[in-house]
Amino acid sequence: MAAVKPRPKNPELRRAMKPWGSFSWGYSDVGADIFVGLGLVLGVAAGASNVAFLFAGVVYVCIGLAYTELAATYPVAGGGQYFVMRGLGDFFGFVAGWAVLLDFTIDVTLFAWSSVDYTSQLLPALVNSVNPWLHFLVVLSLVLGLCILNVVGVRESTAFNGAVSALDVISETCILCLGFLFAFRPHLLIHAMQLNWPSPYQLMLGTSLAIISFVGLESISQAAQETQRPASVIPRTSISLILTILIFALAYSNLALGLHPWHPITDAAGHPLQFWQIFPHNADNQGKAVALLSAQVPYYGAFAALYVPVLGAVLLLISSNSGVFGSSRIAYAMSTSNLLPSTFQRVHQKFRTPVISIVFFCAIAVIELIFAAIPGLFPSFEPIYGRFFRGEGGLGFLADLYAFGAATSYSFVFLGLISLRLTDPLSPRKFKIPLNIPLRFRGERVEFPVVGVIGFIGIFSILIFTLQTHPLGRLFGPSWLVLGVILYLVYRNHRRLPLLRSQNRDWRKAQVEILRKAGEFELMDEYTANVKASDARRAEESVP
Amino acid sequence: MNAASSEIQVTVAGAVVALGIAGAVGAVLWWMLHPPSSYVQRIAAEAESELERMVGSLIVAFSPEIDSSHMMVLAARLARGERSELLAIYVIEVPYTLPPDAEMESEERAALDALGAAETIAQKSNVTIRTETIKARSTKQAVLDVAKREKANLIILGSYREGKYSGAPLGREIEEIAADAKCDVLIGVEGKHGTLLIDESGASSQSS
Repeated sequence: MAAVKPRPKNPELRRAMKPWGSFSWGYSDVGADIFVGLGLVLGVAAGASNVAFLFAGVVYVCIGLAYTELAATYPVAGGGQYFVMRGLGDFFGFVAGWAVLLDFTIDVTLFAWSSVDYTSQLLPALVNSVNPWLHFLVVLSLVLGLCILNVVGVRESTAFNGAVSALDVISETCILCLGFLFAFRPHLLIHAMQLNWPSPYQLMLGTSLAIISFVGLESISQAAQETQRPASVIPRTSISLILTILIFALAYSNLALGLHPWHPITDAAGHPLQFWQIFPHNADNQGKAVALLSAQVPYYGAFAALYVPVLGAVLLLISSNSGVFGSSRIAYAMSTSNLLPSTFQRVHQKFRTPVISIVFFCAIAVIELIFAAIPGLFPSFEPIYGRFFRGEGGLGFLADLYAFGAATSYSFVFLGLISLRLTDPLSPRKFKIPLNIPLRFRGERVEFPVVGVIGFIGIFSILIFTLQTHPLGRLFGPSWLVLGVILYLVYRNHRRLPLLRSQNRDWRKAQVEILRKAGEFELMDEYTANVKASDARRAEESVP
Repeated sequence: MNAASSEIQVTVAGAVVALGIAGAVGAVLWWMLHPPSSYVQRIAAEAESELERMVGSLIVAFSPEIDSSHMMVLAARLARGERSELLAIYVIEVPYTLPPDAEMESEERAALDALGAAETIAQKSNVTIRTETIKARSTKQAVLDVAKREKANLIILGSYREGKYSGAPLGREIEEIAADAKCDVLIGVEGKHGTLLIDESGASSQSS
C-alpha cells in the first residue's frame, strides 16, 4: 500500500513571486535610499558627491554580485545572516544578523523620518526646524502605526509594491532624462568639482553616507523563498536592481552638480547659488533632495513638484515598513537557528504574527528616534551633542548608524562568500561572480573570488571611514554589537550550546531540501551528482 | 524661489546622457523580465500548446447508455479557458427492426433533458454551445461521423449509466470510439463510489 503523506497543517510559503515582484520587493527598499542619501551626500561631499557615489557604487556592485550569487545558490529566507552562518559558523552568523537587525531598526526610523520630510514639501507645517515636536510626533505615530499594522498582520501586497516601484522607476527616469536634456550644463558640473572639492575627511564622510543609498539588497534574498525559480530569477532581478539603482545614483549626483535651476536660487544676500549649494548645513533640504531637484526640471518640474513628494513619501514609508517585517523575519530565522531565544519565534494566537519580535524591534526604533530628535526637541541638549557627537542629530544620527550596520553586515557577507566558495564548492552556482582563481582546497577544485576580496576591501574601508567620521556611529554601533554578543553568549550558555563554535548541521541534506523546495530540480540533481562524484573520488583516494 | 527661468538649453552631453539613461534602464528591465525558461517550464509550455491544438473543437457525446453530464461541466470550463467550439450531441440508437427515422418518444425526451442540461451548464460557464440529436444505427459510428464532419479535436465521453454496467471496464461503444477516433478522446469514468470530479467533503455532506 502506498504511503500517502497527510496534507500539511502549516503550508509552506507559496512561490508566487515573478521577476517583477522580486524586483519590486528589492526596489521598494533600495529605491527609497536615494531619496535620503542624495541630500546627505550633497551636504557633506559638495563638488565630489558624484565621486563619493561612484566609489560607494563600485563597492555596491561587488556587494550586489555577492548577494546575487549567494541568494541564487541558497534561496532561503534568512538572507545575509544565513550566508554568513553557513560560511563562517554560528557566532559570526549571529554578529552579521545582529548588525542587519540594527540596520532594519534604523531603517524603520530613518525612512519614516524622511517620509515626513518629503511630505513637508507639500505641508510646510511638518518641516522639522519649524515644528520639531510636530515632526517628531508624526514620525513616532508612523513608527507605532507600522508596528500595529504588522502585529495585526496587514502588509502591503506584492501588487502594491510592484505598482509603486513601476511608478517610481518611470518617474525617476523621466526626471533624469528631462533634467539632463533641458537643465544640465556640463560647465557647471566641472565648475562645482573644481572649486568645491571637499577635504579628504569630508570625502570619506560623503562616501560612508553614499553607501546608505545602496542598502536593501537583503530584501530580494529574504523574498527568495517566495520567488518562483529563485536560482534563475534572482540573479536577473538582483543585477537589474543593482544597475538601475547605480544608474539613478550616479545620474542624480551628476545632475545635481551640473543643474541649471529652472527657478533661480539665491542666498540671503541675493547672490545666485548653484542647485547643490542649498544642501550643506540645511537638514530640512537634505531630507527631501529628490523632490527639490525634480521641481527644478524645466516644465516637468511644475508637475513633478506635486507628485514627487507624495511618491517619495509613499516609497519611503514602504521602505520603513520593510524594516519592521524584515527585522522580525531575520529574528525569526536567527531564532530557528538557535542564535536568538525562541521567544522571537512566538506568534500571536489570533493574528499569527511574531508579535514579540515586531514590538521589540519597533521599541528599539523608537529609542533611536528619541536619540535622533533630542537636539531638535530640547535645545538645551545641543551643547552635549555638540561636545561629544560633533553636533550630530536628526537625520545625520540615523544615517551614521545605518552606514555602520550596513558596512558591518556587508563585510561579513563578503567573508561568508569567500568561505562558502572554499568549503562548499559542490553546490551548483547558477550565477557566479566573474574573476575567479582556480585552486585546490581540501581535495576539491574551488574558485577563489577576486571580486569578493575587492569588495571586502572596499566595504571594510567604508566601515573604517564610518568609524572615523561618525562619532555617534563609532560609539553606538560597536556598543550594539557588544550588547548583542553578550546576549548571545548568555543565551547559548543557558541552552548548553557551543558558545563560539557551531552546532552540528547536515548541510548536504539541507541543501537538497532547499533546492527541492525552490523547485530547482535540475540544480538539485546536479548537486546530488556532485556530492556522489566527490564521495567516490575521496573513497578512491583513500584506498592505498 | 523666483519666477521660472526662460533660459532652456539642450546640450549635446545632456541629450546623450538622457538617451543613455532611458536606453539603459529600459534594456535592463527588459532583460530582467525575460529569464530563460527551465526544463519544467518548457514541458509545461509544450503541454499547453498541445492542449490548445487539442481543444480547438470539442464534442461531448451523450446516449441513453453514456452519461456525460459531469464531463459536460469539465468540457464547458475547458472550452471557456481555451475559447473552443463546443458541440453536445445525443445519439439515439435505432434498432434495425425500425425505420431509421422512427419516432422514439422516451429517448427523444431524454435527449431534450440531457441537451437542455448541457446548454444550462454552458451558459453558466458563459460558453456558446450547439446541440444536436442524432438518430443512428450505431452510436459509435454516429459519434465518429460527427467528429469527422466537425473536424473535432477532442471527443469527451462520460461513463455508463447506472444499471447498464456490463462488467467490462469501459462500455463496448466507448472503447470502440476511443479505438477508432481520429482525434483525442477524453473519457471520464466514475470511481467506485461515484466521487469523480466531486469534492469529497461535499459528497460526504450530501450523503449524510
